[in-house]
Amino acid sequence: MNSSVRIFCGWLSLVGVILLGGCDMPDAPQFRLNMVQMVSDATPTPPAYQEQIANVLDGMFGTPDEPFALPETGLDLRKLQMAAGPAWTDDKGANFGLYRKHCVHCHGVTGDGRGPTALFLNPYPRDYRAGVYKFKSTYNPARPTDEDLHRVLINGIPGTAMPSFSLSPQAELESLAEYVKYLSIRGQMEIALANYAFNDLGEEETVDDKGEPVLDDEGEPVMRLIPLDPASDEEQRTVITELLAEIMDPWNTVNEQIIVPEEGAIPVDNRPAEDVAASVAKGRELFYGIRANCMKCHGPTGLGDGQQDDFDNWNKAHKQFLDSLASSSEEDELTGTRDSVAASLYPIRNAIPRNLRKGIYRGGHRRIDVFWRIYAGIAGTPMPGSGPASPGAQGTLTEEEIWSIVDYVLSLPYETPSRPLEALPTNLELVN
Amino acid sequence: MTHPFRILVATVITITALAQSHAVEWGSIKGKFVLDGAAGEPAAINVNKDAEFCGKHDLKDETIVTGEGNALANVVVFIYAKRGQKLEVHPDYEAAAKTPAKLENKGCRFEPHLLALRTGQPLEVSNSDPGIGHNTNASFVANPGFNEMVTNAAPIVKTLEKPEPVPAPVACNVHPWMKAHVVVREDPYVGISNEKGEFEIKNIPVGQHEFIFWHEGKGNLRDVKLASGKTDRRGRAKLKIEAGKELDLGEIKVTPAALGK
Ligand code: HEC
Ligand code: HEC
Repeated sequence: MNSSVRIFCGWLSLVGVILLGGCDMPDAPQFRLNMVQMVSDATPTPPAYQEQIANVLDGMFGTPDEPFALPETGLDLRKLQMAAGPAWTDDKGANFGLYRKHCVHCHGVTGDGRGPTALFLNPYPRDYRAGVYKFKSTYNPARPTDEDLHRVLINGIPGTAMPSFSLSPQAELESLAEYVKYLSIRGQMEIALANYAFNDLGEEETVDDKGEPVLDDEGEPVMRLIPLDPASDEEQRTVITELLAEIMDPWNTVNEQIIVPEEGAIPVDNRPAEDVAASVAKGRELFYGIRANCMKCHGPTGLGDGQQDDFDNWNKAHKQFLDSLASSSEEDELTGTRDSVAASLYPIRNAIPRNLRKGIYRGGHRRIDVFWRIYAGIAGTPMPGSGPASPGAQGTLTEEEIWSIVDYVLSLPYETPSRPLEALPTNLELVN
Repeated sequence: MTHPFRILVATVITITALAQSHAVEWGSIKGKFVLDGAAGEPAAINVNKDAEFCGKHDLKDETIVTGEGNALANVVVFIYAKRGQKLEVHPDYEAAAKTPAKLENKGCRFEPHLLALRTGQPLEVSNSDPGIGHNTNASFVANPGFNEMVTNAAPIVKTLEKPEPVPAPVACNVHPWMKAHVVVREDPYVGISNEKGEFEIKNIPVGQHEFIFWHEGKGNLRDVKLASGKTDRRGRAKLKIEAGKELDLGEIKVTPAALGK
């Protein structure tokens, strides 16, 4: 039963006590810790810290039944409350518990992409906890805009298990998108706290009442963990407030990161057929050339059968952990936990470049969608960006060239599938 | 049954006392890493892309690189600086802070395999493999990552604003065997052991510092014996730098197990 005192900081000038109504149900779903992070080589987190991190997160974000958001997050608590908790409908027909009703069996209570259905899916449902999204209008490292999340909910992700929720009322979609963001921010905070506890807190030598170091039988100093306890440590409170601000900044400034194509370079819709053909031909040349290098991954005929050995960031993190575990011979206090974390993971899957002859575009089939994919790449996956990497930067390809590749990509499904055009020869004289 | 309650506490802005800029004295540190056992021959890379070019370079797995006499290369030694803490920087480092740190795609590997740079210092990633397209995909903890094509024509240039707590992985997804790490710190006090296993960091402000010892194999090197004491469970050791002196850690033995072998 959760009866903990939750303490956290806000930019509030008064000290107050707020009583929240309601109690947690005895078997209310709980957020799960990001155990791969906790047992990683980068932040091996002792059980005491795991518990303290869970407490701090609980204070800052509440529970799956009773979400909470500090004002610094800018999250709308009413939207979160509509999405959180068990599914029910009030007497006016308003729906609550939307996330558990529609999303949880795939994306999991914590948003770790590990709901009960997830094991059977390929690709796996998104793990929101890194704040990384694939199909968005922004530069590669940037967060998605609200509109991007909204678009994914309306369209679903064709060719994957992610369904369309276009029949849900606007207010419900807004509440769900807000909740997805909330789970991301919470997940990012968890990673930040694990880093903070490991890097900046950690162990210190214990001292007795006289300030003398306490030694063990072998004369080594006895160590103790500096507790992660922002409630009683002002410096920690300040740091955690800073960490939250660092997480929020990219979310709050995402509108400065939207890729807006230059007016002049956007090809008009009603172009003469020969213009389109010329653009497709140019796009084709680029696709097979070394500047765009699309062929190396998407294969000599665009079937997605080029470089298939790689992984997306989510699978890579799990693979790294498993590889590290396999090569471990030393035991420590986390050894048992590592084994059970390893046993809980789903099979690692390769990132397969898209088969571009199918005409199914997961991030949307509009020309602008495909333009964004090629310009920024697909975040979290091997697919690199070919346009400028941030506002004002120099890109590998010009916008005009990217639009030509868009024309070529969109033409690929209409080439006779059984007789795809031969790949252009690679420039072998350069290679020797 | 108790109701959970929340206490909102005012955050007090702490004004960090600014370090007085009185005359600072400097010292250095050096040492030599040796692999204490056998790590086996590095595995040959299965070159499955651009084989006609990349296949010519006799590529090997570079996770563990040893030199003559089992000298262990690519161990990173750097000073832990608490969040927000700044170390005094010797004026000799000023010029280098503005020179781009260069990471080259060359012979279908990254050169160097480990690169140290400072926040604000340009990171220049170039491609010297004629007719071969590479992409550079960097994942960071504190900075925004990037994943871009790098052509023969022009390098891509990045500036990282925040220090990274651990060396950050850089990859090429067209040739997934290509791996490097960049060590991004606010200060220049990073040593990377060379083929002889040797590292040296000069002009460190005197005093007790916490040094981190890191290797790509399994991250921070725990319980490694030093001339005096050993690294702790987090792979760190508190060492004293004295004015005008060079602290010599001597030969530092690292077991293959500590590198995941
Ligand atoms: C049947 C399983 C399933 C259900 C139900 C489901 N999703 Fe997904 N979702 C997925 C899969 C699979 C992906 C990953 C697709 C990919 O990576 O291409 C995904 C991806 C996403 C993404 C990431 C989009 C991006 O650009 O990266 C968001 C956001 C999302 N889902 C939100 C939701 C929300 C909100 C709900 C409930 C309203 C929901 N999903 C329900 C399977 C599901
Ligand atoms: C390093 C490998 C790599 C390179 C180079 C690459 N891609 Fe991709 N591409 C991928 C992968 C992997 C995916 C699947 C990502 C996912 O959805 O998880 C993908 C997906 C796509 C998609 C599908 C988008 C959607 O909405 O479904 C398109 C279109 C695409 N790539 C076009 C290109 C073009 C054009 C180029 C050259 C400018 C290119 N790719 C270069 C690996 C690559």
